[in-house]
Amino acid sequence: MKKIIFFGGKGGVGKTSSATSYGLFCAQKGYKTLIVSTDPAHSLGDIFEIEIGNGIRELDSNLYGLEVNPEATSRTYIKRTKLEMQKILSPILIEEIERQIDAMVVSPGTEEAAIFDELVKIINSYSNEYDLVIFDTAPTGHTIRLLSLPELMGAWMDTLISRRREALELKKMSDTTRRKENDNKFLDDPVLKILTKRKEEYEKTRNMLIDSQRALFIFVLTPEKLPIMETQKAVSVLSKYGIQIGGIIINKVLPKEGISDNFLLKRKETEKVYLEEIYHIFKDLFIIEIPLFPEDIQGKNYLRRVSDLFTNII
Amino acid sequence: MDNEKLKDILDFIKEFIKSAFSPKYNSTRVIQVEANEKMDDFIILCFGELLGLPLPSSYYSIELFPYLVQDIASWESRMLERKEVLTERWGKYDWCC
Repeated sequence: MKKIIFFGGKGGVGKTSSATSYGLFCAQKGYKTLIVSTDPAHSLGDIFEIEIGNGIRELDSNLYGLEVNPEATSRTYIKRTKLEMQKILSPILIEEIERQIDAMVVSPGTEEAAIFDELVKIINSYSNEYDLVIFDTAPTGHTIRLLSLPELMGAWMDTLISRRREALELKKMSDTTRRKENDNKFLDDPVLKILTKRKEEYEKTRNMLIDSQRALFIFVLTPEKLPIMETQKAVSVLSKYGIQIGGIIINKVLPKEGISDNFLLKRKETEKVYLEEIYHIFKDLFIIEIPLFPEDIQGKNYLRRVSDLFTNII
Repeated sequence: MDNEKLKDILDFIKEFIKSAFSPKYNSTRVIQVEANEKMDDFIILCFGELLGLPLPSSYYSIELFPYLVQDIASWESRMLERKEVLTERWGKYDWCC
């Protein structure tokens, strides 16, 4: 049993419906499942027709949902930092610094960083609590960047740590007072502690992500040209980062029988070419097809119908 | 030679070596300059954003703020007042002896 499954793909191909129906399928098999939406434009709650809000909410028996909220995450983070500051700094300084901190929060990249923080937290803590964590991710580009962050940020933290250590060692050497308590000051540097903690968390996350026994990525695509191309690129990037690709879900395939309309028959012809292409390009991967339904995939009943399609292993 | 005298001589040698190679005067200063520079580098890597340099880790540096605040204030004004890097470099080291 895998612990973490990511659902990704181009925008609009049906990531959320596939992820939730797979989640329902696993929940019904008796696995305690958590679905996490990392797309800033959440649609997890919409598909279940409920408001998820902040925090984890039960969606069905054995099935839980969480919509990552980068704003709330960064708010908590800033609040924690400000509290910490009040403990160690004089009140005169604080007002000026708070202004600077507030300015740093609105800088570009904050949202991504906050989502990444949440991802690390979820992977490191919830994956013990739940049998299965399913990530319903944002469109491909976003997600690949997110999944490459543990490695990139890990390296960045390494640089910061070694710089800080060097500087502290030099400071210690040039400290002519040579007092014992100063030695401790250099060794117990809170900055180094924070950086090291972050680095360890990123390492843990990365180890989870590249462990093919525990994590894998499923691509959702539709039998059309652009989604195929995008998926092909994404597969090669993810393999570069060592993340295992579990399978391909072809969504919105026109039904095999019952089409009499000329327009749709023509479309079916085009689709056939793309389907063959998909089976050829991704021949090493597990592939399943989900047909196009006349109605939207919305509400639990429809999700159940789709989840019945998942045969067994992914 | 009695012990008293030997101690005096040894003390004299000790004092001589201490002032000739004392880390207090020159080498300590060089190390201090180096240490400050390394610290500046570190702060630039964390808070370059305050000078307008976008960094991947700006968001994560925020929680370091409380501990680095004292350094940051002087660092920021030093960085912004910087006019000429070469002269600054030149002036930082004691070139004579």
